[in-house]
Amino acid sequence: MKVLYSWVCEHLEEAAAPLAMAQRLTAVGLNVELRTPQGEDEVWEVDVTTNRPDCLSHRGIAREAAAAGAGRLTPLAVQCQERGPKVETEAKVTVEDPEGCPRYCARVIRGVKVGPSPHWLAQRLLACGIRPINNVVDATNYVLLDLGHPLHAFDLEKLQGRHIRVRRAGAGEKLVTLDGLERTLTPEDLVIADEAKAVALAGIMGGAFSEITDATHDVLLESAYFAPTLVRRTRKRLGLDTEASRRFERGADRAMARTAVDAAAQLILELAGGEVAFGVLDSCPEMPPAKRVTFTVDGLSAFAGCPMAESFVAQVLTALEIPFQVQGPTFQCEVPAHRVDLELPEDLYEEILRHWGYDRIPSVLPPLTGGPGERRGSFPLTDRARDLAQSLGLAEAITYAFVSEEVEASFGDSPLAGRGELVRLQNPLSARMAVMRRTLWSGLVEAAANNLRRGAERVQLFEVGRVFFSREGRVHEEERLAVLLAGEVGAWDSRRPVDFLDVKGMAEALAEGLEIAPLTFTPLAGPFAPGFGAVMQRDGATVGVLGKLSPKVQSLFDAPRPLWAVELSLDTVTTPMPPKFQELSRYPAVVADLTVRHPLSLPYGELVATLWSLAPEILERVEPVVRYRGEQVAADEVKTTLRLTYRHRDRSLTQEEVNAVHFALMEQLAARLGVSFT
Amino acid sequence: MLPELEQVRLEFDRALAAAGGDPRRLEEVRVQFAGRKSGVLRQLEERLASLPREEKPAFGKGLNELKGYIEAQLKAASQRAQTTKTKKEEVDVTLPGRKPTLGALHPVTLVRREIEEIFLRMGYSVADGPEVEDDWHNFEALNIPPDHPARDTQDTFYLPGGFLLRTHTSPVQIRTMEQFKPPIRVIIPGRVYRRDSDLRHSPMFHQVEGLVVDEGISFAHLKATLEAFVHRLFDPSLKVRLRPSFFPFTEPSAEVDITCVLCRGEGCGVCSGSGWVEILGAGMVDPRVFRAVGIDPSRFTGFAFGLGLDRVAMLKYRIPDLRLLFSGDERMLRQFPGGLRR
Repeated sequence: MKVLYSWVCEHLEEAAAPLAMAQRLTAVGLNVELRTPQGEDEVWEVDVTTNRPDCLSHRGIAREAAAAGAGRLTPLAVQCQERGPKVETEAKVTVEDPEGCPRYCARVIRGVKVGPSPHWLAQRLLACGIRPINNVVDATNYVLLDLGHPLHAFDLEKLQGRHIRVRRAGAGEKLVTLDGLERTLTPEDLVIADEAKAVALAGIMGGAFSEITDATHDVLLESAYFAPTLVRRTRKRLGLDTEASRRFERGADRAMARTAVDAAAQLILELAGGEVAFGVLDSCPEMPPAKRVTFTVDGLSAFAGCPMAESFVAQVLTALEIPFQVQGPTFQCEVPAHRVDLELPEDLYEEILRHWGYDRIPSVLPPLTGGPGERRGSFPLTDRARDLAQSLGLAEAITYAFVSEEVEASFGDSPLAGRGELVRLQNPLSARMAVMRRTLWSGLVEAAANNLRRGAERVQLFEVGRVFFSREGRVHEEERLAVLLAGEVGAWDSRRPVDFLDVKGMAEALAEGLEIAPLTFTPLAGPFAPGFGAVMQRDGATVGVLGKLSPKVQSLFDAPRPLWAVELSLDTVTTPMPPKFQELSRYPAVVADLTVRHPLSLPYGELVATLWSLAPEILERVEPVVRYRGEQVAADEVKTTLRLTYRHRDRSLTQEEVNAVHFALMEQLAARLGVSFT
Repeated sequence: MLPELEQVRLEFDRALAAAGGDPRRLEEVRVQFAGRKSGVLRQLEERLASLPREEKPAFGKGLNELKGYIEAQLKAASQRAQTTKTKKEEVDVTLPGRKPTLGALHPVTLVRREIEEIFLRMGYSVADGPEVEDDWHNFEALNIPPDHPARDTQDTFYLPGGFLLRTHTSPVQIRTMEQFKPPIRVIIPGRVYRRDSDLRHSPMFHQVEGLVVDEGISFAHLKATLEAFVHRLFDPSLKVRLRPSFFPFTEPSAEVDITCVLCRGEGCGVCSGSGWVEILGAGMVDPRVFRAVGIDPSRFTGFAFGLGLDRVAMLKYRIPDLRLLFSGDERMLRQFPGGLRR
């Protein structure tokens, strides 16, 4: 809130200089964020935390300043000169909802002359960010800023029956507020009404109908205490944040309601003349018993971690106007009505420690009572995935977990995306961030497209993060790893565009590192360019997808080059067993190449799987050497050269015995698959 | 040496000189003189066989000498030729190698790991929780009841079914205390969401949260822990300042400033001229939070703290714009291949 230094000083004796006071206030938790000179004076922007509505006034800040040693708080002396008739003959107050309005005080001032406020007052309001309106309204705002209690002035003659009724609004009841907007109310809302209609939103804003105008003669001055929750709900629903609502919803000072109405009546008298009727209409003059909090200095010292002196405790409590009694080691405190935040001993520890100064508390490391720390939750897994991806030369990206529905839908036919229903945000920031991602590609693809459009020749990104699904009314989170390649690969003298085997190699290396290899790869259309996608499975369960994203996706993201992507679910990854050493063979291997001519319709995977199914025990490894299509090979055929490694565990193999096995294998393969070896 | 043989030696020397370093012509010389079938030496060996017995020893000795000489000369010449040949094909060592690309971790991951490392060494565990939370864990158990004004400062994304995206990592404090009994010493890194987007706010960002619960935990313990952490993360010469503040789940609460890491307290744009940057929120666990999770506040006390990982990454790596962190711009992402290690 904005405060004037000189105004704060009006509540202090021996006030410190501006800089010293601002520093002291900041040190005790009232952060003076900005000091702006204004003539001889200064306007401060003070950051008041939500638990301290008592500091939303010059008096409140002066109280803190005094407790912080920047002056001495002067007693508050409010007097109101009453004249004329008794207030009971002028107006009537009925509180129909005492829970919503525990206290309602009203005064009546007759015969005012409404006009502009004097210069000094208008300037003070302006400095604090409030627009001057007329002397009566300005007087209420002045008291608000001075003492922190919101007030409202009604044109008494406009109130039907000169009767204030504090009640809940009827369903659909209408009220035009001071800002000129018509509000439709509900029974959740507390209103001030006359005998016919609502005339103000309790604790938030007055109504246009009964506002003070130049024609106003008689004023009814309201100074009430409204239940914070009610004010807050209505304020939120209507989006109507006012000086009054800010204070009531955080908790106003119930005792101050009476003081404030006196102060405001007196000020109106001085500014606008007229006469203040005798007495106050007060719905509940009796204050509820004060909360009591007890603590011991020993408890406080243990909490702080250093010995605290009884005399200092007493000094702080006194300065903060918190009455207390000392009985032996125990302090019994009575919480004043303006301190809504004090309930527990810890709340009082805070009062004392912040005034003691956090910098004066020593630094002592806590003793190590538990065992050594460990990584729990998903981090061991996700960080393993990150390290693997990094070791493959990829750069980690972090992208938003929410995307547009359109982007999300473009990946909807990926088997990984279809694991549950889409989760929609109920209050998204924009349509671009409307739903939770079900695939990491949504963000990664956009990042890749942006990189390509910036002229990147190669994109090699990965992301590890969560995706979200709804299943049976619950939201499920799944950890994923995604890779995105685009542009070129290879060293400077062997560059070429990314192709399928590049992304597949990534997927295989990741699967190996995560110990979910071997995976089977089956063609998949899904979100991929036809003929360029695959699903990865392990023991029949889908663990990932990979391929070239469809031209539709590519154009949706405006990517100038094809995008190759992998996504792996980390759900199936388990904590790795400690690896076990494999005995190294002491006997030499015999290597034999085998060139198989076969139709393109026979996938490599089937060829090799068949070979393995026929393999003798001494076959150790099969790997591809070259694939050949072209001269001397029919258009629908391919020659695949495989390198077979034979090795016996316990002895050296002879060339003759390998030959015999190798030729037998060729015959069986030819018989099984109808392939040839020429 | 016999004149006849001396003559051969001279012819050989001439032929060898004429061949120079050309391997093809050297080979011709070799065939001419040392060829197995009809080389000069072979012919001389045949001559030796047909000589009268008394002449054999002298001729044989001379021939052996000549043979040794020719073979040695041929070998040396061929080695010279080899060397010349490789010299002609030497590499340009200044050409760039076929360098495999180094991978890179995100700056937020790097600072998260650095922070985890610091606290693991102090006996903390690293915990984790769901990003989709319920109201109890995100708000109520943390002493933020419905209609609490503090809810305004954490604008929340709501999901169907009463769920929400967690606005801080603090719900994992609650989950940890529900699951484990004191002593508790844990840090909680994670992704959080707030309905806020401008130059300095991103609707998704990262926090790390710390929680210590035990008998006799004091404010002094909190202070020392934060100082040890800041000194290890940034620099032991940095000052740490605690300012009283308010969080619903701690009492007392403090905002923690450190000497501006850029200007070292001189005042600069990053610290708005104050010489301090705020990086942490902290405090003693509010007894109301202990009650919510069934921990006896008359026996146990604790402290908690939290900081923004993104902000630390920006300060540490001098990244000027928060939004750059989530842009996936590879030019930025690949700037920190090794991270910062201490």
